[in-house]
Amino acid sequence: MDINVRIAGAAGQGVETTGELLVEAFAGLGLYVFSTQSYMSRVRGGLNWFDIRIGERELFSGREKADLLVALTPEALELLSEGVAEGGLVVFNGEGQEGVVGIAFEEVAKELTGSKIMGNTVAAGAVFSLLGYDVGELESRLRARFERKGAEVVEGNMRCARRGAELAAGHTGTLRAPEGGDAPTGICSGNEAVGLGAATAGVKLVTSYPMTPSTGVFTFLASVADEYGIVVEQAEDEIAAINMVCGATYAGVPAMTTTSGGGFALMVEGLALAGMLELPAFVFLGQRPGPATGLPTRTGQQDLKFAINAGHGEFPRAIFAPGTPQQCYELTRRALETAHRFQTPAILMSDQFLADVRTNCRGLDTSCRPIDRCIVEEPGADYVRYAVTADGVSPRALPGSEAFVAVDSDEHGEDGHITEDLAARVRLQDKRMRKLEGMTVEALAPEWYGPGDAEYVLLAWGSTYGPCREAVDLLGGRGESVAMLHFAQVWPIHAAPVRSLLASGGESPGEGRRVISVEGNATGQFASVLRGLGILEECRLMLRYDGMPFTGEEIARRVKP
Amino acid sequence: MTMSKAFFDADIAWCPGCGNFSILRTFEKAVEAAGIDRRKLVLVSGIGQAAKLPHYTQANVFNGLHGRALPAAVGIKLANHELEVVITSGDGDMYGEGGNHLIHNIRRNVGVKAFVHNNQVYGLTKGQASPTSDMGFVTKVQTHGVMSPPFNPLAIAIVEDCSFVARAFAGDPKHLQEMMLAALEHKGGFALLDILQPCPTFNHVNTFKWYRERVKKVDESHDPFDRQKALEVAFKWGEEIPIGIIYRSERASFESLQPVLGKGTLVERPVAGAS
Repeated sequence: MDINVRIAGAAGQGVETTGELLVEAFAGLGLYVFSTQSYMSRVRGGLNWFDIRIGERELFSGREKADLLVALTPEALELLSEGVAEGGLVVFNGEGQEGVVGIAFEEVAKELTGSKIMGNTVAAGAVFSLLGYDVGELESRLRARFERKGAEVVEGNMRCARRGAELAAGHTGTLRAPEGGDAPTGICSGNEAVGLGAATAGVKLVTSYPMTPSTGVFTFLASVADEYGIVVEQAEDEIAAINMVCGATYAGVPAMTTTSGGGFALMVEGLALAGMLELPAFVFLGQRPGPATGLPTRTGQQDLKFAINAGHGEFPRAIFAPGTPQQCYELTRRALETAHRFQTPAILMSDQFLADVRTNCRGLDTSCRPIDRCIVEEPGADYVRYAVTADGVSPRALPGSEAFVAVDSDEHGEDGHITEDLAARVRLQDKRMRKLEGMTVEALAPEWYGPGDAEYVLLAWGSTYGPCREAVDLLGGRGESVAMLHFAQVWPIHAAPVRSLLASGGESPGEGRRVISVEGNATGQFASVLRGLGILEECRLMLRYDGMPFTGEEIARRVKP
Repeated sequence: MTMSKAFFDADIAWCPGCGNFSILRTFEKAVEAAGIDRRKLVLVSGIGQAAKLPHYTQANVFNGLHGRALPAAVGIKLANHELEVVITSGDGDMYGEGGNHLIHNIRRNVGVKAFVHNNQVYGLTKGQASPTSDMGFVTKVQTHGVMSPPFNPLAIAIVEDCSFVARAFAGDPKHLQEMMLAALEHKGGFALLDILQPCPTFNHVNTFKWYRERVKKVDESHDPFDRQKALEVAFKWGEEIPIGIIYRSERASFESLQPVLGKGTLVERPVAGAS
């Protein structure tokens, strides 16, 4: 069993702070937690909410309805009461009314501490009490969180939490909360996991222009820069960012940039430069709905074909699309390794939903284990940067060594110097593109979840992993035969094994199974990519592009109404 | 002094009589004079005729995108600040396409040296106006003459407190070499050297003769640390064009402010990290 707690209010009211505090405190009780955020593109006002789903088993998706709504503003109460599940509870920051428990969080805080700033803590105490949890766990979180601000702040928060719990006592109603167990107590968001993956893989230069929803990776890396020895620089624009990454990787340092669709559009020429110069440039692309500025704080998966095709001319690139924070951590490392092994750019695609998800993560290793940069230590005197080889990968030396290293955005000979010799052009282009063959063979196989003989197959990529997986479980529980095939690497794709996987039970690709591509865009981009690779013929599309994430419930309903 | 072997092997794409030849020859001498180990020298360029210079000498080469030499050079320098990183760029590359990077890298003050071959015209695309073309300059595009006043790189750099600002003339190689050497030996961060370079093919106004009649070395009484005076000098253009070290500022370089870089280069640093 699981329940969903929704904290809602205006921007600037501490919705996120309260949510993060509760997530940590629930995890401290050994509960599984999965939190998502919905916020508007503004610093003050509006209506934001923070959902925390808690359960006794691992959770992978948000839920549509709330079992407990904490409304910090009248607007939140008015607009979100409808979204409360049957038997659920509503707590309002003010006067109580029928079916609504009234606790004036900010006034209570003001009475106790002289300031309304700790109103959030009163609310957190009330939530703990309504769910029947020991407020002691919340208190220990508060102590850890506010210790460096002094005893007075810690004591004030404690009093606020206890008072919130007292005021809520006796209002529990029929709400039954899951019991704490042995879930991993470590919590990580998608963006933090990407940042930790990069820092531990040995990224030493990060240069970005801030853009939602990618900024969390940039700020995480800034927060650990001194610890891991990373130079973090805010670039004047995204064009500068990607070109700085190209310069740094040429000189031998693992480097990356973080951006979203609009910024990535500016980086496209630089991405082609990395392709031509054969540099392991790494880009984190946090998607949000476009075109243009679109919906800056919402989610979507609309840049897949853009990423696959970004850059003029043709060059190999690897694109990863993790589905969980744990995968964000692991695949960031894998993307950097792939980029260095094949000397070509790699992109990690996430989106606002996954960026902001906070959930239990199993012991992410924080020690620095630098990836192999694949550098030749002693290049000879006759070294050339682009020696033609069987697999297309040329020995990589660095400037400053015994060899002269020349690279050119113009077509070049093996020595890296500009050429207009058309035979050399073909030789070098073939060399570059040969790398794609090795990358394809080594591409991550998609993950199958559910019965092997399933009648329905949900195709998923990136952040729809969790919602699709949960839909498989929900439908399976009702006796339906449904599985998921999730792609955590979306380019290149090794087509043959996937083709036979989907075709099993039928003569031609896709026959015998009902394939549904679940995507956060309006055109079914991933299905189109798979069709282009001859993996699929026809399939049903299940699309969502209103800026909100899929839930498992929604997918289950749309598979079988 | 002889030209490097690479120079003679290369299939040079410049027109006969181009100011770039003088700049290249002088550059070779300045590198020798500065005692730079060529294996530690990285020449970074974008696109244009000046941007081809790295192919005609012996050094590490990063010939990147149009307008983007500066961020690439900064990336290289941050990765390995023991390398000598020099940009050879033109007025279109540095002052037009790459203008935003120039503005912000003067602020950033990373120790890369920008040598801008300024011929006041676009050569590679065959004769259109550049950001430094004078008002009234007629081309196949600007058929009624250029209508925007020219970009003033020196004044912009001084206003932004650039740590080293100088101008030289391709027709005075001895002075040019002095300026290049001073820029190469500058330790306080970013250096901008604007080099007036006649283009005999596409610019028939600003010729060797035209410049020779106008360039005038700043006299010894000029104090490059006096910002107001430097700005006055930078505003001079027309009958008299000042050349020399126009402005200097004692600023901390970006590298010296980065705690991480104080422990060695990023590329060589043993990876520390949390345990």
